[in-house]
Amino acid sequence: MNNNSKHFKIALLGNPNSGKSSVFNLLTGLRQKVGNFPGVTVDKKIGHAQLKEGISASIIDFPGTYSLYPTSKDETIVINTFANPQSENYPDVVIYVADITKLEPHLLLLTQIHDLGLPTVLALNMIDLAAKERLTYDIEKLSKLLQIPVIPISGRSGENIEQLKHIAADLCLQNSEPPKIFYRFSKKEEQLASDLQTDFNIDNPFRALIYAHHYDKMPFLSGLQKRQIESLCKQHEFESFSLQIRETMQRYDKFTPIVRQVLQKPIDDSEKDTLTDQLDLVFTHRIFGPLIFFLFMFLVFQAIFAWSEFPMMLIETAFGFAGQTLQNILPEGWITDLLTEGILAGLGGILIFIPQIAILFFLISILEEVGYMARAVFIFDRLMQKFGLNGRSIVALVSGGACAIPAIMSTRTISNWKERLITIMVTPLISCSARIPVYTVLVGFVVPSVTVWGIFNAQGLVFTGLYLLGIVAALVSAWVFKLILQTEESSFLMIELPKYRAPMIKNVLLIVKERVMTFTIEAGKVIMVISIILWVLASYGPSNKMELAEQNALEVAAQKNLDETATADLVAGKQIEASFAGHLGKFIEPAIEPLGFDWKIGIALITSFAAREVFVGTMATIYSIGSQEDEYTIRDRLAKATHPDTGLPVYTMATSLSLLIFYVFAMQCMSTLAVVKRETKSWKWAAIQFVYMTAMAYFGSLGVYQLLS
Amino acid sequence: MTNIAALAEREVKKVLQFNDAKIACKLMAMGMLPGSIIKVMRKAPMNGGFYLKVNGHGIALRVNEAASVIVE
Repeated sequence: MNNNSKHFKIALLGNPNSGKSSVFNLLTGLRQKVGNFPGVTVDKKIGHAQLKEGISASIIDFPGTYSLYPTSKDETIVINTFANPQSENYPDVVIYVADITKLEPHLLLLTQIHDLGLPTVLALNMIDLAAKERLTYDIEKLSKLLQIPVIPISGRSGENIEQLKHIAADLCLQNSEPPKIFYRFSKKEEQLASDLQTDFNIDNPFRALIYAHHYDKMPFLSGLQKRQIESLCKQHEFESFSLQIRETMQRYDKFTPIVRQVLQKPIDDSEKDTLTDQLDLVFTHRIFGPLIFFLFMFLVFQAIFAWSEFPMMLIETAFGFAGQTLQNILPEGWITDLLTEGILAGLGGILIFIPQIAILFFLISILEEVGYMARAVFIFDRLMQKFGLNGRSIVALVSGGACAIPAIMSTRTISNWKERLITIMVTPLISCSARIPVYTVLVGFVVPSVTVWGIFNAQGLVFTGLYLLGIVAALVSAWVFKLILQTEESSFLMIELPKYRAPMIKNVLLIVKERVMTFTIEAGKVIMVISIILWVLASYGPSNKMELAEQNALEVAAQKNLDETATADLVAGKQIEASFAGHLGKFIEPAIEPLGFDWKIGIALITSFAAREVFVGTMATIYSIGSQEDEYTIRDRLAKATHPDTGLPVYTMATSLSLLIFYVFAMQCMSTLAVVKRETKSWKWAAIQFVYMTAMAYFGSLGVYQLLS
Repeated sequence: MTNIAALAEREVKKVLQFNDAKIACKLMAMGMLPGSIIKVMRKAPMNGGFYLKVNGHGIALRVNEAASVIVE
């Protein structure tokens, strides 16, 4: 950027399904970043655009909104920004995206923004679709009647995006008079607005009215100010809902004739079923609908396992190689150990999940882009309601199959706090990708790899059973929360079912990138810190016990004539036993003994708090096979493990099944707890989640072990 | 006069008024107003939601939401 160039702030606004994100991607290219709106956890996407020679702008993508009367957390952001000119996100210019095929409802928010006195350009999107539907429209007339610049564009083909940038640039430079207000106030509204304008120094009467409607949702007002507004509203007998209706009706009355003048639809095909209608005959069918949904989910998870194997192996190999290389070139000592066993191991533990998470979100966002997910929400809303959830929870529950972190963040579209909270509380019970390595090791002890009923693999069936157990546990817990939690807040479905459209791969890839980044950063920082703490716990012990353990192990190795690797593995195993982690494991042994676990499993339970899959690595170290850490070697070794006193095998069917049940239920993921704290704004819910899931795990395992042993 | 929750699949009606101010605000913002033509596309099983076409655009409602909309 040169010194003469001017920089502006532009807000991108529009209804849900207006194609706003395509326009955002076209305007900003790949120069986007995700931040947070102040004080809330709604994602704020910002991109940079060069509008014209010497004029650039930050483009802020606001959540899709129907009006300035919000019902969800996402939408509240819009009023808090546009009501408050001091907000850091308050724009110089608004680019308003509307779907030309749904022009009427999309003009509601436009005229509200217009009444706030913001210079606005109307980008009429989806002209490619309009051509297909043989709509005719008169852009010049619309521009004249609305008194704002209008440009027809296509977020698909990119048509007229350059012109849109030029118009936005011109608006940035212009210092025009604020336009005439579209809405005609009632006498009472007029008086209230003018009182509020004087008392609170508000520059615009419609903005004053927005204060009157939403003061209790505006964090930038002080408690005293809120009380002042409240008493002013009472004084003027201000009734928010009926006035919202009055305002909305009046706006429609004003712009409906405008739309009739400028937009003509062909008359003949209003009764004919469209392609969308024909598809929905199947997709929303009472029997085929749910069946097709489960088929889709089955295919999605098949694809995740099939496609992620190779990239995961690459990541594993790369980290193994990097660790080995570092150990070879760096001098021996604690810094090298910290680097390879703490930091590098932590980093590997984060990155290994990226392939599965990326593939899941790739497929889910295709289903979303196509318009299918809204149908799934419709189909399952009733069932979800029975469990205190919302149809929209289905998206979070499915995403939880990859990772609970982005899944929990996707609950922000649920406007009812109770439904959203319950969704957040139960999503971690859905088996995520971190449980797979643990399941893989342990399932082998529970059932042999044999074929049952001709086609099914017995281990595969147990695997499926564990997933189903997670789903059932999530639903049952949700039902219990529904009984406990009380709320007065009303809950809504009211969701748009958009026309089916081919997905735009660029949009999908950007969503995947965004979700993967969120996972890497949110989960990453927690896993990293915990990995380092665990490294300390596993590498150091009280007084000189670690050294003694090493000497002992070396003597044993010498007696048995072990080779170099076997000696090193034996030393590592004895050392972890003498470490702080080993002591912790032994300390909790009495508590976990009734579940069939010994102190070695205790250590693994403690270390897998960073992330569940750490269980596998820890078991490898404890059983002195650290250098050949793969699931099958570990399984062989575990099979040979015996109790020192009795000589009986440790990993009986009862212990293994008990451990599996423990991993299905237990809240062993610090990153998820951190995200739950962030999303619910209190440690209370994170703590409750931890306690109830751990209790379920403990008593579930206890029951299984006591029954089977 | 009846409400949407009482309609059968494929029925076409004209919206007259709303019984619930809060739901009305949202529905109006989504494009359903007095005078809009609605068509019931689907009723979900077990007293589930309603899939409507409102002036040709798809919207899904719960039973209580549908019941608050009075039609011809």
